[in-house]
Amino acid sequence: MALKRKNKVRRPTARTASPERSGPGLLNRMEAYFALHGETFKDSFRRLRQTPLSSTLTVLVIAIALTLPMSFHALIGNARQAVAALESTTEMSLFLKPSLPNEAGRKLAERLKSHPQIADTTLITKEDGLKDLKAYSGFGDALKFLETNPLPAVVGITPKASLTDAMALQGLLDELRQLPEADFVQFDTEWLSKLRALLAIADRCIAVFSVLLGLGVLVIVGNTIRLELQHRREEIAVAKLMGATDRFIRRPFLYSGFCYAFLGAVLAWVLVNLLLLLIRGPAVQLAELYGSPYRLAFLGLPETELLMGASVVLGIAGAWAVVAYHLRTLHPE
Amino acid sequence: MLEFIKVTKRYSESGDALAEVSFNLAAGEMAFITGHSGAGKSTLLRLVPAIERPTRGQIVFDGRPVHDVPMRDIPFLRRKLGLIFQDYRLLKDRTVFDNVALPLIIAGHNPLDVGRRVRAALDKVGLLRKEKRYPQGLSGGEQQRVGIARAIVHKPPMILADEPTGNLDPELSAEIMNLFREFNSVGVTLLVATHDLGLVKRLGCRTLRLNQGRLIEGG
Repeated sequence: MALKRKNKVRRPTARTASPERSGPGLLNRMEAYFALHGETFKDSFRRLRQTPLSSTLTVLVIAIALTLPMSFHALIGNARQAVAALESTTEMSLFLKPSLPNEAGRKLAERLKSHPQIADTTLITKEDGLKDLKAYSGFGDALKFLETNPLPAVVGITPKASLTDAMALQGLLDELRQLPEADFVQFDTEWLSKLRALLAIADRCIAVFSVLLGLGVLVIVGNTIRLELQHRREEIAVAKLMGATDRFIRRPFLYSGFCYAFLGAVLAWVLVNLLLLLIRGPAVQLAELYGSPYRLAFLGLPETELLMGASVVLGIAGAWAVVAYHLRTLHPE
Repeated sequence: MLEFIKVTKRYSESGDALAEVSFNLAAGEMAFITGHSGAGKSTLLRLVPAIERPTRGQIVFDGRPVHDVPMRDIPFLRRKLGLIFQDYRLLKDRTVFDNVALPLIIAGHNPLDVGRRVRAALDKVGLLRKEKRYPQGLSGGEQQRVGIARAIVHKPPMILADEPTGNLDPELSAEIMNLFREFNSVGVTLLVATHDLGLVKRLGCRTLRLNQGRLIEGG
């Protein structure tokens, strides 16, 4: 009779289960395994949504912990790019000996154009120089009284864009200085070197902050999972009595850790880009002041991967550590 | 099916909870453990699924020693048992269906299979119509029947029940015992701890009587 009733209660979902399917075949086992993972994941996510306030808080704290180092990292990265862009746009100014006529400067400018390390040259004649000086210096009236033009001709030299490291630039500088026509060469890179040194310090600081705040993510997820564990104590005890392995018990918590960390990372990504968007306007102005074509970059793919990857790894690790600790101390009774 | 050989369990604070207990339960047998509270009934039942380990002696279940089963094998030992508790130990935030499905999911059964088996088990205890309910919406007798469905859903060769009727009135208790008799009639081995002597007498099964940790009858 029991058998007859059993057939009657079969639902459409059960109809596809032919007798051999219930056997321990590999395919069957794998199907069961993936179904279990899918269910566990859905269940973990459902739990997250069941406690919206605490879940949101956890995700928010993770996001903030990730946003801080990540936005600093993005800013420093941008600054580094901007400095590189500045260096390549910087001109060297080769002041010719005042006695040399414009014609000599023109010839030199032509000659230097074919130099392998120089991209372009421009000649500023004595007359142009005086005009500029009158226009911008504020000495316009006083300069009118000059009988002769005391200014030298100047050749503006743009190094090749590929020439970025300080040593090579210095080499070119020295070469130009030794030209017989040269009086002196001006190339103010010192402030750029200082800026780069500052950026290196900032970079180091960010690395330390990243480690600390990364640990923060680990602890936040760990603590959230700990509370969840306490909440589900009875469930774990019962599952253990029914023959659940540690792995089975650990699984939903690892998924929870994953969910928290992933959502936190997504939120952090949004926040960082929002921050970059906010400072974009002023940054453009700043770049223009330095005559740089550089524009602020948002988080690229490698940075996004780093953010997501690091967060997820930390989240899962935090969950793992807490569950492992509790499984060792928890007994079914 | 289950053999105890001079099993002693000693908790450090008090004396022996079990002292030199020996008995043999054949496959397909149904037996009661009786005795006053504190006589060692629960302790005895907790030794089989390795919730606790004996201080001395040997326990053999299904042809394998259980007293020194390695930690990593305990889950697989427990999957061969159906455990029934006095306080049911159902999960309050899961439906009846999900509660009963738990042992199958733990054992990694195919989800297509799970629905069929869970409904078969619920049918046996007469709760098929309540699979979507939550335990707290059920009466005590119904909750215990959910607990029983959970204990049999994976078709274990042996069922251990610790005071399964302890919280139920006599009529419901008789109902539960009839269920046990039914399982026993299809070959399941049962070991049931109870202090309800009237019930035991009426069923006329083998009785192991414990007194202060010693087996004084039925060994």
